[in-house]
Amino acid sequence: MRLIWLVALLVLTGCQKEDRFPNQPILLLCPWATGGGTDRMSRQIAPFLEQELGVPVNVVNATGGAGVTGHSRGSRARPDGYTLTMMTVELNMLHWRELTDISWEDFEVIGMINSDAAAILIRSDDTERWPDPRQLIAYIRENPGQLRASGTATGGIWHLALAGWLEDEGLSPADIKWIPMNGSGPSLQELVSGGVDLVCCSLPEARTLLEAGEVQGIGVMANKRVTGYEDVPTFQEFGITWTSPAWRGLGLPKGTPSRIVERYTEVIPRILRGDVVVGGVAFPDLMARQGFDVTWQPPQDFEQTLVRLDRELGRLLTGSAFSEVESGPVAPFEIPSILLGIGAISLILLIFREREGIRRLSLKGRGISVLKIAESVLAVGIYLLVAETLGFVLTATVLLFLLFLRSGVALRVSLPIAVLLVPVLYQIFSVALKVPLPRGMLGW
Amino acid sequence: METLQQALSNVLQFQVLIAVLASAVYGIFMGAAPGLTATMAVALVVPLTFFLNDVTALATIVTLEACAIFAGDIPTTLLRIPGTPSSAAYVDDAYTLTRQGRHFRSLATSLAFSVTGGLIGTAILFAFAPWLAQFAFQFTSYEYFWLTLLGLSCAAVVSSDSLLKGTLALVIGLLLSMVGLSEVHSIPRFTFGFDELVAGINFIPAMIGLFGFSEILRMLAGTATEKIQADSGDAGESPEKGRKGPSEPLRRAVRSILPSLWLRKLSTLRSSVIGFFVGMLPGAGADIGAWISYAASKKTAKGPSTYGKGSLEGIADATSANNSALAGAWVPALVFGIPGDSVTAIVIGVLLMKNVMPGPGIFTDPAQSVLVYSIFITFLIANLVLIPVGFAAIKAGSFLVRVPREILWPIILIFCILGAYSINGSYFDIGVMLAMGVLGFGLEMWKVPLGPVVLGIILGGRLEQTLIQNLTKSDSFLDFFSRPVAGTLGIICLALWLAPPLYRLLKRKHG
Repeated sequence: MRLIWLVALLVLTGCQKEDRFPNQPILLLCPWATGGGTDRMSRQIAPFLEQELGVPVNVVNATGGAGVTGHSRGSRARPDGYTLTMMTVELNMLHWRELTDISWEDFEVIGMINSDAAAILIRSDDTERWPDPRQLIAYIRENPGQLRASGTATGGIWHLALAGWLEDEGLSPADIKWIPMNGSGPSLQELVSGGVDLVCCSLPEARTLLEAGEVQGIGVMANKRVTGYEDVPTFQEFGITWTSPAWRGLGLPKGTPSRIVERYTEVIPRILRGDVVVGGVAFPDLMARQGFDVTWQPPQDFEQTLVRLDRELGRLLTGSAFSEVESGPVAPFEIPSILLGIGAISLILLIFREREGIRRLSLKGRGISVLKIAESVLAVGIYLLVAETLGFVLTATVLLFLLFLRSGVALRVSLPIAVLLVPVLYQIFSVALKVPLPRGMLGW
Repeated sequence: METLQQALSNVLQFQVLIAVLASAVYGIFMGAAPGLTATMAVALVVPLTFFLNDVTALATIVTLEACAIFAGDIPTTLLRIPGTPSSAAYVDDAYTLTRQGRHFRSLATSLAFSVTGGLIGTAILFAFAPWLAQFAFQFTSYEYFWLTLLGLSCAAVVSSDSLLKGTLALVIGLLLSMVGLSEVHSIPRFTFGFDELVAGINFIPAMIGLFGFSEILRMLAGTATEKIQADSGDAGESPEKGRKGPSEPLRRAVRSILPSLWLRKLSTLRSSVIGFFVGMLPGAGADIGAWISYAASKKTAKGPSTYGKGSLEGIADATSANNSALAGAWVPALVFGIPGDSVTAIVIGVLLMKNVMPGPGIFTDPAQSVLVYSIFITFLIANLVLIPVGFAAIKAGSFLVRVPREILWPIILIFCILGAYSINGSYFDIGVMLAMGVLGFGLEMWKVPLGPVVLGIILGGRLEQTLIQNLTKSDSFLDFFSRPVAGTLGIICLALWLAPPLYRLLKRKHG
């Protein structure tokens, strides 16, 4: 009887839940790795959102594929407002590079929250050679292909910023050798150790090395100097019109009800203006301390920016000059082929050496039960199929119970373990450790 | 001296010490749960640091990190699920010991040498940080290429019994790492139209599958481990003794630790120095450090044949290296604001948030150097706190060994699923775990080592990237040897590969 009441109560509260947004934890997807600028922004805006919306906001790094993973997961999530994506400028680029079909049009955009301009950085002892971008471009014009630059992977945003500038000056993007690096941190280290001659990245990323005097910013591709880096001149001051864009913004999956989108567009500007204080500090101050810019663009303006950027970056990425750059010294499948060769040779040698042993390898001869192996593989397969609809707790409890049965555990032992262990695990992982375990139909 | 006193009084405060204790427990828990990493543990406390003062915030992170890395050894030893990639270097040793009923000995060794490695690392950090940072900045892509290759070679050549099998395992790992978007070519490879594969194969689910899930399969297939007991002939407690009761052998294990620490003082120092240096290089990290020092340990050991079959020496050397590497990673982070690993990347964010600017000035500016010394002192305290908390965790965890096997394996299966999913919240990773489990099972039937596969997945991308970076920069292969450090590393690498066959050839001639 008590059980029925409990179930009834659960169902009732489940129904009530639908009325108010939000009433369950929100997932903030960050397409980039822990510790980077985007991750830092996501993790630092989360407590402010938490305070304003009254529910936990959990950051998950869905990394890899130059941003494909995070953005595609964000756009394909259920459009209920509970999956928020920290979008980055790569959204304007990935579909041009044919890495994914997803573009900004797959999102309900909430707004831009940050915009960092690209800057040209050189080693401090090179400042006499190229004191400003004009001199640098003159040097490149005379010595095409001599200088080595980095900042990110080939075709990444900072590469595009540099390539776009070169094109703007009537040069080819191939006139600078772009060394593909895994982000601005490694590139800056390569700059200091003398591996490359210049780095193109945003100023906040180079902040410490700038202050230490190891590197020097000779120009930032923006119309006005960047707050906190006032001694770095803008390109415009040298009569260069090229500006380079990089932005971060928030978005929801396409099809999210407008009343939910509006809830966000109302809360986020408040946070960015500094009206919300968490732990005695407002968001803009927090950002300023780290040298990050805060720029709010409401949805309509942001959409215009996105349309313009999509056009500009598309022109660059699909242009003939750029495809020339992309073919490096080693073709994409060369190294895998070499590896396959080595693998094949060692496999053949191994088979040759162990002719005797291989005969003994057969499964039956060793008394191995294929059925039992297949069963446990199947168990994982079943979880994959039904967990999303049934939720973690239900699926895992049933699965665990069935496995116990198969493994010959007595009912009086297996049932309590299965029924107790799984909910405890759920509480620990989902509530305390903020892992987004599938909630399923029952919300559990 | 005054700064040191000031720092000491900043750290020895009630709030800080409570934070240290709490984060030690939390760190142990996060590290011991499969699929949850030290990086995740630290990332989760970032919002909390809003409310803490700078010393407390950093003390929390330092303690978390040190405890989580050690705690990774607990599932490694008891369940054969490596908690961190660096524990993959000695997973077979540790798990063999568990099978022999000597898990207390194994875990106590891990703990003691983790703490020692951590303390040595702290000492190096304390004494040489600014000077060492300059050294780290001598590293270009040439040096990184050879260092990565050295780590891989150590796993494939030194750590496995058969050169061919080691090579095969390494090649499998490297090929798996080629799946997904190649950053240097900016095109996706081997994705077969799956969007999820563009991101490549994540090594955490792969590791859980290769070691953890494959062990379930072996258990079910009935080929697991009984044989190992018979194989390993080294003296010590017999398995029966180990199974008697939990606390008695623990006490004995603890008592045997101090003498063994003293006995291995030089090799521990060597391992810690290796770990520190590798950890200090941005992007190299504890995993390469652990493998290199495991290999160095095997090369210099009196009984190298026990390595991989329950060698306490191997565990000791690798585990002291990976704890020492943690301290190393703080060098470039503090001096140049360039993170040595993913945890220090988060640390830089927290430092900036607290209005502390990393840079060479951090050691000279009196206001900031107090904080730096506070960090050093917390490193010290964190490693000391690890001793009691770690022992408690060992005791708490080891009940798992007494759980009957038929109850244990379904639970491990659920943990494998949970762990694979947790790292990225992605179902695809569960599939990866499954596939890797079957692969691992197949490879082990053939006695192909699994460690090189994991390391191949982790480092394959970096190896290819640095190789292509170097080839883009220069036209001649000689450039790979033109810098002193690069040249030295390169020659060591080549020697590792060429020595065994040459040695055999010479022996055949003379014999």
